[in-house]
Amino acid sequence: MSSQQVPSSLRDILADVLEISPEEVTPELGVGTIDNWDSFRHLQAILAVEGEYSVQFDPSRIPELTTVSLIQAELIAKGATL
Amino acid sequence: MQNDTERQDLRRRIKEAASSQDAGTAVTLARRLLAVSGKPADVMFCATTFTGIADALTSQLRAKRLKTYIVRSVTIEPILPFLTTEAVLSNYVLDMSIGGYGSYVDELLNPQSALAKFKPNLVFILLDLEDIAGRLPALCADGIGDAVEAEIGESVARVEHLLRSFRSGSSARILFQGCVVPDQTSLGDVGEANLPHSLTNAVYQLNQKLAALCRTISDCVFFDVDHLAARHGRANWRDARMFFASRLPLSSASFGTYAAGLVRSFSPLFRAPRKVLCTDLDNTLWGGVLGEEGPEGIATGSAFPGNCYLEYQRHLKQLSSRGILLAIISKNNDADVREAFQIRAADLGLTLEDFVATKISWNEKEASIRELAEELSLGLDSFVFVDDNPVECEAIRQQLPEVAVIAAPVEEPWKLVDLLSAQPFFDAAVVTDDDVNRLNEYKAQAQRAELASSAGNRDEFLASLEIVCTFLSALDAPLARSVQLLAKTNQFNLTTRRHSAAEVEAFASSPGGQAVAIRVRDRFGDAGVVGLALARTEGDTCSIDSLLLSCRVIGRGIETALLAHLGENAIRAGATRLVGEFIPTKKNAPCADFYVDHGFLQDATSRDASTDSIFYQLDLTTAAPESPRWLTLEGNESNEFSASAVVAS
Repeated sequence: MSSQQVPSSLRDILADVLEISPEEVTPELGVGTIDNWDSFRHLQAILAVEGEYSVQFDPSRIPELTTVSLIQAELIAKGATL
Repeated sequence: MQNDTERQDLRRRIKEAASSQDAGTAVTLARRLLAVSGKPADVMFCATTFTGIADALTSQLRAKRLKTYIVRSVTIEPILPFLTTEAVLSNYVLDMSIGGYGSYVDELLNPQSALAKFKPNLVFILLDLEDIAGRLPALCADGIGDAVEAEIGESVARVEHLLRSFRSGSSARILFQGCVVPDQTSLGDVGEANLPHSLTNAVYQLNQKLAALCRTISDCVFFDVDHLAARHGRANWRDARMFFASRLPLSSASFGTYAAGLVRSFSPLFRAPRKVLCTDLDNTLWGGVLGEEGPEGIATGSAFPGNCYLEYQRHLKQLSSRGILLAIISKNNDADVREAFQIRAADLGLTLEDFVATKISWNEKEASIRELAEELSLGLDSFVFVDDNPVECEAIRQQLPEVAVIAAPVEEPWKLVDLLSAQPFFDAAVVTDDDVNRLNEYKAQAQRAELASSAGNRDEFLASLEIVCTFLSALDAPLARSVQLLAKTNQFNLTTRRHSAAEVEAFASSPGGQAVAIRVRDRFGDAGVVGLALARTEGDTCSIDSLLLSCRVIGRGIETALLAHLGENAIRAGATRLVGEFIPTKKNAPCADFYVDHGFLQDATSRDASTDSIFYQLDLTTAAPESPRWLTLEGNESNEFSASAVVAS
């Protein structure tokens, strides 16, 4: 999983929301791995990602999408083009 | 893809501007970025950038920095970056603190709460219908329930208790958000529209009562979020999924609109509206070019496209009726324009009498605006300029950057009124009698100028004006007028402290305090309440906190009368020394020598290093200021209670 690249569009959004540089956005990055990614930031991140890819996540899944790679997988499952 | 390149380029340049702390460039570029993209991630990028240059925004762009506390019962966090960004675009920097979901009652009532300790300048109160009047949906379910009105009354009374209790301990400005009318209910649209106590009708009524309540609380605006939701589209305003899952009251697509609405709503609490609208004539006030098509040929009146121009004229007339001054700035022959206003009177929504001034000549418009500003004694930042010619618009933008410029859309004249209304220039939460009478007052000023040139010496001229000054408590000015004067007087304002209503009340009610307003009339008209002074006597010293006068009455000795009045009250309160303070700003040079001219001595010892304040003092036992002979004074004894308060304390 760690060799996998984060698509640049997703990487840039998360960098903006989390106020970190795009290079720091790795597939393993997630809630709690950095201070900035708390529960409110998580909601912001999800909303920004939803807006960018015009998808809506199931609210009960949102708390489970706790890492970059999980968000990425959910986007692909929703048919988004990354 | 083109867009994305531009976007990346703008972001790179914003970062550069931010890292060199160049606030002006960063904001200009951010405006462009948000115009091309508006993606949530870009808004967050801007918010982060702005937060990093907050000091530069304040020092370089003179952005107003506001400690802002958000009292809420809903999730607001994802909206904050949008709020930060919109605020900066309107030249505010918000230092925000957010209250707890369930603690809003305690925050507003408890003098030891986090809100009270934060000592904010501005408080947003954002509650859901559930919290304000949670029983309404059930009570309105049958549409005829007779308990609905009582419930609304009780809900408003609860809110009133919260607001008054908070107000008694804080002078922060308050924005209170109303409720959004629910989009879907069990009654359906027909029932909602026709049944007397449907939820829709109940929420409308609730909002009206809440707005009426806010009018009775000083420095408080009602934020009509329902109006915003209706404009944006109720169906898209809320995302039920996120409301139920996260108590987020808005869909993410509404964040920007909502944040902009919040900023526009609180802004009149801190900023005075612009005062003058200068309009061009050809292809702006009417269609076509008068010089080419003649008075019969220009488009105005009830038929298209003339009705678009008529609509604009009516809009101007409406602005004028609440005190916005109208002026014509046009390159035309004066006689032709007068003829057109006469011949086409029936098709025009305005007459020449509606304009405070007309500058119809072949002079440069920049020169005409400068001239007008001087004649009206108003700063250029009070002006709005509307013109269809892009070259004229650009010239004004470059030469007079303080003036707000609206480019009239020649090909789409139906858009002009919307373009104008979309701007916050003329927003005011309060309109006073003085606003309404302003046109006559400024016209009288022109007549006075004429008399001045015919009268012999100055004293004789001033005596011939038959000026009467009436002193009254700043609370009876009315208070809204006093606060308005504090907020917008720039040139003759010794300390430029923008006190809130509550702070004025504190001066009026504290022992030894004085809060005096002055009303002026003369043989040409009533200028209304035009001056204000706040002072406080402690021991043998009376310190003047604020002294200001509307610039249209400067030079007639009225400022001296105000000072003399303060002096008399101070003596009555036991003072022997009057201390004046001057804080220089970009605009108040006209009153820099006020205290020296009145015999005060500069006090070098008490200079306050943390501010730019310069202090002056005057010995009241030997040199108390006196009112000029040509003024008739009224209400001189009315401020007794401050003197007696000192005796009592």
